[in-house]
This record gives sequence, structure tokens and C-alpha cells, in this order.
Amino acid sequence: MDGDRVSIEEDRRRFADVVMPHLGDAYALAHWLTGDAADADDVVQEASLRAFRAIGSYGGRNARSWTLTIVRNTALSWLAKHRRRTVVAVDDLEAVERAQALPGREGAALNAPTPETELIAKADAARLESAIAALPVPFRETLVLRDLQGLDYREIAEVTEVPIGTVMSRLARARRRLAERIGNEE
Amino acid sequence: MTTNDNNPPDERLLVHALVDGELDPASALRLERQIAADPALAAERARAEALRRALREKVGPKPLPAHVRMRVERTVGLGAARATARPSWAALAASIAVALLLGSGATYLALGPQAGSGDRIATQIADDHLRALMAAQPFEVASSDRHTVKPWFNGKIPQAPRVVDLAAQGFPLAGGRIDVIGGEAVPALVYRHRQHLISVSAVPAGAADAAQISRRTVRGYNVVGWRDGNTSYWAVSDLGAGELEGFVQAFRTAPAE
Repeated sequence: MDGDRVSIEEDRRRFADVVMPHLGDAYALAHWLTGDAADADDVVQEASLRAFRAIGSYGGRNARSWTLTIVRNTALSWLAKHRRRTVVAVDDLEAVERAQALPGREGAALNAPTPETELIAKADAARLESAIAALPVPFRETLVLRDLQGLDYREIAEVTEVPIGTVMSRLARARRRLAERIGNEE
Repeated sequence: MTTNDNNPPDERLLVHALVDGELDPASALRLERQIAADPALAAERARAEALRRALREKVGPKPLPAHVRMRVERTVGLGAARATARPSWAALAASIAVALLLGSGATYLALGPQAGSGDRIATQIADDHLRALMAAQPFEVASSDRHTVKPWFNGKIPQAPRVVDLAAQGFPLAGGRIDVIGGEAVPALVYRHRQHLISVSAVPAGAADAAQISRRTVRGYNVVGWRDGNTSYWAVSDLGAGELEGFVQAFRTAPAE
């Protein structure tokens, strides 16, 4: 019995060391993925419990990646359970983009890159945020982790459980979609 | 359209890796040359950079609400959590004292008697940063103006620290405070990066302190130490190691006054 108490105290101490410093990032990621403050609160609570139960398996490497991986997985299963949304597999999205996006309008945009970058520079916070919210989840999580939370590619690959090459291509596609959306919504 | 043929999609993906600082110098150089020769790649880079800047400067942080943190602390039974929404000063002070006590005990166990002075200082710096985050204000003087922050230290400590303006690099000054490291009052500057705070402490260097940069992780925080003349500097933050490194680089190379 005494041993149990000691090990729970030890788990609490580790949780305070490993998870608590990154609770702010955890909440922000949950907020971006669910799109709602109350939902983010619930996801963070559930993820914290999962993290607490799993704290013994924390390998002592990157505390932020470890924490965000759990938050991300919790948010995704939360979305699957609570949202009746048509889920589009990202492979399909990528195939569609390859099929239609590259030839035509890419060429048109090439010769005049300045107006688009100007539109991006002029976009206000509300427009940027709604454009991010409109991204499909695999693109959104990659963009948020990189451009808003500052993780490097290796960390993003860890958190989203895909190879680095996929991180790179999702990031490029996410940015392209964002730029198009901001450029088109004049 | 024919440009696409000279431009396999891979190169366009690499442009993003270049913008994100993920390429090794040789690949970066090769790609820079290709960009110079190819307007399509140049456009891709301009777009990625414009977006990155807009996102960094305009999209607001999603700050962690106090009630979410307290709910988590209650859920896992961390001592500092209270049922009341507003902890009294006495309670807060007590919880800080407990945290420091636990912290130093754990540190001693983890480091053991043979740990170098660098490890001890790094741990104290991380503790001070953590304690400052728990206080109502992470600094005692709040100002983004270095001409306000620097004079504030005068008369409180023997020598005011070097204060540099890094707002243009994305690290605006937030304020300053005084920490106690090894029984000595030392200045700490606080910079902001998005919703993250960075504390930089300036500690008189011992003769034995190494000149090269050292990197550590203490309780999940990244700590970078370096020496400049007779002062050793310590930067601590929950920022990723790469970004903290970028901050240190900017801090070291910034011109003094």
C-alpha cells in the first residue's frame, strides 16, 4: 500500500515536470483542432488523464512532442465521436489536388506573384484564422504545429505519426490552400 | 506550364523546408541557386514567407484559461490545485515554497554530488523561470522599452545587464526581474515570443566556466547557457530547442546600445 502511494506521488511529480510546462501548447492545439474553447477544455482534460496514466512510459526525450502527441490523438478521437462530418481521407485530397490543381492556375499565378503576397500581407487576423479553420485536419494540424507553435519537422513527424516527407508535402499544400483562399476572398 | 517540367514537385516542397530552416547548408545553397534561376520557385518562396510572417504577426495566441489548468491539476491531484477559483496570496506563496522545496530535493537526487556547477545553475535558473510564471506577473518591471528596463536595475544590483532590442527578430522585450542564484542577486530579462516567455539571466562567471554554448533540458524546459566576457548568460523557456537557439543567436549578435 505504501509502495502504491509513493508511485502515485512519483507519477504526479513526473506529470508536473513533463506535461504541465506544455499545457498552454496543448490547449492551443486542442483549440485549433476542435475549433471551440469548451471542446478544447474537455480534450485537454481527457488528454491529461491519458498522459497521467501513461507517464510511466515517457521515455525522457522530447516532453513537448510527447504531450502534444497525446493531445492530438485525443482530439482526433474526440472529433470522430462528436462530429458527424464527412471524413475525407487525405490520400484522396492529395490525389484530387495532383489531378486538377497544378497545371492551369499555377501557371497563371506564376507570372504575377506580387499581388498574392500583398493580399497575404494585408489579410487581417479574422481572415487568417477562418482560412486556417477551413483546412482539412491533416493539413491544419501540420500548419498549426509548424507556423503557430514552432515545432520542427522531426517533432511534427513524431506528433502526427507520419514520415518527414509527408510533413513537408502537407505543409506545402496547407500553405498553398491558405494562400489561395486568402487571395480569392477579396 | 513547361516550368513544371524543370520543377519537379520535390523542389517546390524543398522551398518550404528552406523557408523553415530545415535544410543543411549544402542543399540550401543548391536550392538558392535554383530559385535565382526560376521564377516559379521564387514565387513559391515569396508566398511561403509572406504567409509565415502574416501568421506569426497577426494570429493571436490561444492563452490557457486559468480554470483549465486548475481542472487538470485537480484531475491528477497536484498539490497546488485549490477548489477555490482565486487562491489567496498565502496559499500561493505556500505552494511556491512547496514547489521550490520539491524542486531542489529532486534536483539534488537527480544530479548527485558530482554534478558540475553548470547543472546546478541551470536548474536554479529553470526554477526561477517556473516560479516567475506562477506569479501574477513574470517580471517586476514591465516594459518593452530597454531604456526603461535597464535603469530599473541600477541601484538594485551592482551592474545593470546588457539589454538588447530584439523586437524586429520576433522577440519583443516584456520586462525584467531580479533572481537569486547561489545567494547572489542577478538580473533576469524577460522576452516574449508568441505566447511563450523567455528568461535570460546574467550571472557572474566563475573561472572554471567553459566558454562554449551548453544546452540542457530541465523539467521539460530548454536551457541554453553561454559565456560572454566575465558574465555567463542563461536562457530558459518552454520554446522548442531550435527556436530558443534562434533567440540566443539573435541575443548574442545584437549590437549593444
